[in-house]
Amino acid sequence: MTPKQRFLSALNGSLPDRMPVTTHHLMPSFLEKYHNGMTNNEFFGRFGLDPILWVNAHKPDEAKGAVYDPSHVPGYLEPRRTVCEQWRVVCEPLPHERYATMRYTFVTPERNLTTVLQSNEHTSWVSERLIKTKSDIDIIAKYATAPLCDVDEVNRQADEFGERGLVRGTVACFDVYGQPGCWQDASVLFGIEQLIMETYDDPEWVHAFLQVLHARKETFLASTKGARFDIMELGGGDASTTVISPSIFDEFVAPYDTRLIATAHAAGQRIVYHTCGGMMPILENIADMHTDAMETFTPAAMGGDTDLLEAKRRIGDRVCMIGGFDQFHFFTGCTPETTRQAVRDCFTTAGEGGRYILCPSDHFFDAEPELLEAFADEARKCVY
Amino acid sequence: MATTELLASLATCVERGKVNAKSPFPPDLKGQDGADEITVRVLAEGATPQEVLTQALMVGMNRVGEKFRDKNIFVPDLLMAARAMSASMVHLKPFFNSAEVRLRGTIVLGTVSGDLHDIGKKLVGMILEGAGWSIVDLGTDVPTQKFIDAVKEHPDCIVGMSALLTTTMASMEESVLQLKREFPATKVLVGGAPLTHEFAARIGADFYSPDPQGAVEYLNTISPMS
Repeated sequence: MTPKQRFLSALNGSLPDRMPVTTHHLMPSFLEKYHNGMTNNEFFGRFGLDPILWVNAHKPDEAKGAVYDPSHVPGYLEPRRTVCEQWRVVCEPLPHERYATMRYTFVTPERNLTTVLQSNEHTSWVSERLIKTKSDIDIIAKYATAPLCDVDEVNRQADEFGERGLVRGTVACFDVYGQPGCWQDASVLFGIEQLIMETYDDPEWVHAFLQVLHARKETFLASTKGARFDIMELGGGDASTTVISPSIFDEFVAPYDTRLIATAHAAGQRIVYHTCGGMMPILENIADMHTDAMETFTPAAMGGDTDLLEAKRRIGDRVCMIGGFDQFHFFTGCTPETTRQAVRDCFTTAGEGGRYILCPSDHFFDAEPELLEAFADEARKCVY
Repeated sequence: MATTELLASLATCVERGKVNAKSPFPPDLKGQDGADEITVRVLAEGATPQEVLTQALMVGMNRVGEKFRDKNIFVPDLLMAARAMSASMVHLKPFFNSAEVRLRGTIVLGTVSGDLHDIGKKLVGMILEGAGWSIVDLGTDVPTQKFIDAVKEHPDCIVGMSALLTTTMASMEESVLQLKREFPATKVLVGGAPLTHEFAARIGADFYSPDPQGAVEYLNTISPMS
């Protein structure tokens, strides 16, 4: 089988020739530190992993006056930003002794919204939330542009990638810094603790907020028809039960993301639902959203709660499971034999009957090359 | 209602996250008095602030910590319990300075340098506060010197450090080493998703627990409430 056929077999529920093995996002700092800045494709080739091509191609909705932001230079995995007369983004570097710091001002006819991002060599984070007063969501609802999928660009890249592996996209995130799931996007824009408390204090406002974010994503997903993604990512770790309760998941997460999954399916796309954190109490709840795949099945030793065997028993015949490998403890500081055993354990617990892709539980910043070699080599021996 | 019953009700309010009479959560206690009103009543009935702390707030938060450890409740439940506890503590704070409330001691908490994760560390702080400790929260991305300065300011304190990233475990190691070099007698507790008992022992930390209740139980052994 080609890597693409192998991935698609796992996603579609038929048996691949062997267990597919890959990684989540590769962090540029990791590739720089360990591999002299090699590209993703070079990395996958170097270790014999099944490759993934991440494609995020947006285009402006010209019928609504949107254009590409001429001042925007996309970062790693970031799509080109779309703006319009009534929704412009102005960035301004701020002095900071330790971190690169940037203030983003969303300029609208009524009032401006601001957020501040910081970054180090590994990652970026929000240091000032965009939503400061509840009526800020009305500004977003009224003026924010909704990007469309650049189908031609997705297909150009998919054609170029061919049978080499999986083409993976992301449901449109909020501008500048967002996440695919409605709840996760809201968390980034408002702060997770505040958002949780508002589910008790002002649930109607939380629903209104989620609906605003949902509308943008819905527009984007509807426009993906014809784009040859193999899978698109939705969700986010703040929807995991490490952060919220099953009741909050059922009331504030599932209704919105379930509708997005239905829209994705209508557009011919598959969805992988990403919950890096606790999943066991909501395994069936996620599967009930009709997602095609689920990730990351983070083990307890990494701060998650996954019992991979139990997860396989409960939802393994309904969705493709992606992840479950403990990269904290088996990509560093152990012997290759230990890594190989961890791979075997994943295969014997989750690999039975297919519908499983071996993958670290989310991204990683450190991995010793000989352990990566053991990871990939042992997985290639896990044949059906 | 007798004082003992009021204290028991207050413990239940904390455990269930019932803040005050107006709060709609939890739905089955809607319209009933919460931690706020019951604290006023129990103090008026003659309970001492220390009794309120030890026989109600600590009891309620201990139950919450155990349920959280056993995965019977989730972070939002813990946040609501902490909110209910805070609604009660407002009425006890005036007694803190007059020594009518005796806390166990001070715990300085912080997420180590380079790490912006906040909520796990805050949850630990809430549960430890509910166990009778005064919490000094240094926030996130805390440089080693800030931990050292805090220990100078609170000489008998215990220090708790959090790290959620493999990349910041090195920061934790450096902070623990420097802190122990300067203050060898200061107890240092560590926590965070990527940590293990082995790592904690290797960097010289005194205690590691994968959940907040483990820290409560450890601290009970070294500083029992009188």
